[in-house]
Amino acid sequence: MKKKNVLSNAGTFLLFGGPSIFAFAAVVVIPFLVGLYLTFTNWDVRTGNSDLIGLANYYEVFSDKVFLGQLWFTLKYVFFTVFIANGAAFFIALALTSGAKGEQWLRTGFFTPNLIGGIVLGYLWQTLFSQVLPYLGNKYGWSLFSTSWLTDTITAFWALVIATAWQLIGYLMIIYIAGFSGVPGDVLEAASIDGANRSAVIRKIILPLSIPATVICIFISISRSFLTYDINLALTKGGPFNSTELATYHIVQKAFLSNQYGIGQAEAVVLFAVVAIIALTQSYLLKKLEVES
Amino acid sequence: MNKSKGLKMMVCLVLLLSLLAACSKGNDASSNPPAAPTNNQGGEPAQQTEKEVKLTFFNTSAEVNEVFEKLFQTYHELHPNVTVELIPTPIGGAQIEKFQSLLASGNPATIANLDAGTILQYKDSFLDLESEKAKYEELTKPGAVDGALLDGKFLGIPWTAQGYGLLYNKRAVEEAIGGAFDPASIKTRNDLEALFEKIEAAGKAPVMIHGADWSLGSHYLGLAYSLQSANVDDNRKFMESLQTGEVKLIDNPQFNGLLDTFDLLKKYNARKGDPLVADYNKDSADFAKGDAAFYFMGDWTWAIVGPLEGRDQEFGVIPVPISNNPDDYGNSQIAYSEPKLFAIDNAGSTPEQQEAAKAFIEWMVTSDQGQEAIISQMGLSMPYKDVKVKGSNIISEAVSQYVDQGKVMNIGVINYLPQDYWAKTGAAMQKYLVDKVDRKGLADEVQEYWEYQGKK
Repeated sequence: MKKKNVLSNAGTFLLFGGPSIFAFAAVVVIPFLVGLYLTFTNWDVRTGNSDLIGLANYYEVFSDKVFLGQLWFTLKYVFFTVFIANGAAFFIALALTSGAKGEQWLRTGFFTPNLIGGIVLGYLWQTLFSQVLPYLGNKYGWSLFSTSWLTDTITAFWALVIATAWQLIGYLMIIYIAGFSGVPGDVLEAASIDGANRSAVIRKIILPLSIPATVICIFISISRSFLTYDINLALTKGGPFNSTELATYHIVQKAFLSNQYGIGQAEAVVLFAVVAIIALTQSYLLKKLEVES
Repeated sequence: MNKSKGLKMMVCLVLLLSLLAACSKGNDASSNPPAAPTNNQGGEPAQQTEKEVKLTFFNTSAEVNEVFEKLFQTYHELHPNVTVELIPTPIGGAQIEKFQSLLASGNPATIANLDAGTILQYKDSFLDLESEKAKYEELTKPGAVDGALLDGKFLGIPWTAQGYGLLYNKRAVEEAIGGAFDPASIKTRNDLEALFEKIEAAGKAPVMIHGADWSLGSHYLGLAYSLQSANVDDNRKFMESLQTGEVKLIDNPQFNGLLDTFDLLKKYNARKGDPLVADYNKDSADFAKGDAAFYFMGDWTWAIVGPLEGRDQEFGVIPVPISNNPDDYGNSQIAYSEPKLFAIDNAGSTPEQQEAAKAFIEWMVTSDQGQEAIISQMGLSMPYKDVKVKGSNIISEAVSQYVDQGKVMNIGVINYLPQDYWAKTGAAMQKYLVDKVDRKGLADEVQEYWEYQGKK
């Protein structure tokens, strides 16, 4: 009797869970494992060679100063993107939950950039940075904009950060709004009766009570900005002189332009490890801050 | 509470994994089934009733996909037993990746229109066209077949030719110097400098440098490798000794001569204020309207210049002078190449398909319809003797004059260079353009790239 139960349970599970497990395996697990295997080979589609070469690709990755430099560049980029996007999204969400008129429209407006694909968005900002702003800059004598931001290593970095953050803000804002709406009204009311001012309410009540939303937002923004490729491609193409190549961009160049698949794939695995460690550590640490009202 | 915490963690993990797998998938062509529409490779016996032949055509000249499609249609009307199907690629997109995945999945296109360098890399997959060579030597201009040889083998049939150098806007130059301009008068770097001075004195920007890596790394710096000798094999030997470190670029007279001229172009560059903006459409359009008198570019820019409204009418081209001795190689020769070749697959095609492909390619380059399509509709020039159609591309007409006089530089050595050389050395040139590195720094960086290639 018990055995039968187990069987029918398994059958029910497969009926409902099977299709998604199959899809997950086909597009995530198997490619990931095959990719992992490729890092131990010198596979080359031109010759068809595929010999096991052990850890040679990883050795190559860690002795490649260019890649390590770009990994560091990516870390800086992620730090600023996450910081700016979350900061801006938090305050926009705060402003848009205060009950002002036209709030719904503004929310839609801020969310729209997230609906535009990265490539389109990249070209949009490229036109802005390399044509519109220099045009205005020269007309009105703003020295900040007299040349294109995309042709200088430092400003190109900020251009990349701004464009990515701009896209992320709308998405994060929605999550923050959802988080804020979970803050109980009675606590806020009690605070206002006690004479707490706005900043105290934000610091002492709203922020601690919306930690779950913050954890999700930071997690999403970290993993998304680590894996930025399309904006990088459309906005700067890694230029000027490869100084704004993010790790993902470098990986694609390595595999498909330089034809070093094994090394490119090994770099992808290293990137995976870095992202996994950082993202999981931050969500573990931030979760400790969670409180219940 | 605890349970939901675990659940959240799980969701996070799954999210993370799926995001990353999406990333790793892109690097892994083998697990990516090709989405190309080539699903009937000999699978249906009904198609092989002796005469019915189906060809697929892989096209990397993506900007002219539609012209090719119309041409295939015309051929099908003339030869109802042959159907040609286009496998398009995106402009500037993942072209080679698509070619690789077709090949890796055992489903290659019968005919491929590829860069000569790509054909060389996959040379074992293509049909040796030795039997056709004599015929094409008859049909093409002198040197055209030689220029298309890859490792001494005739693997791809040339169908288009390009030349590049310093393009000039005739009106802009003549207004500035106040008289007729004879391009043959510029034989040396000093001649060019004197002309630039005059143009600048007249209040015009003398020259436009397009700051993109492909223009600087492949076209400009690439000249250094071809300038070593008129013989491609000697140039290849030079590249080998560069990779072993026997030759140092910084001591090479051609490299230094080329960069001395680059310093001159830099000094008179119309984009001096912000040299790396590199907006191809804008640079070409500004040149065509006379905002800059010269422009380092090739005849392909006609695709932008031709349809432009309010442009000037007359353009020409001169070689980039690299020294003050008029007799030095390169000072009177235009860089000229056959960038794309038609190659026939030998990895998964039947002999019938290959024969049909040969006949079809010959038709494309010799028939009126084919030439009409290539020359007038694509705006390209053809390295063939008997071309009945007159092109509208004024710049390639100017290049043809050099070709007819035999004043061309064979830049075939670039076909043997690794695929990423233009991006890597182009980045070094960009640094030099904005004075981020000096001559020594540039030479070191480029040298380092080549020596790394030698070690691979």
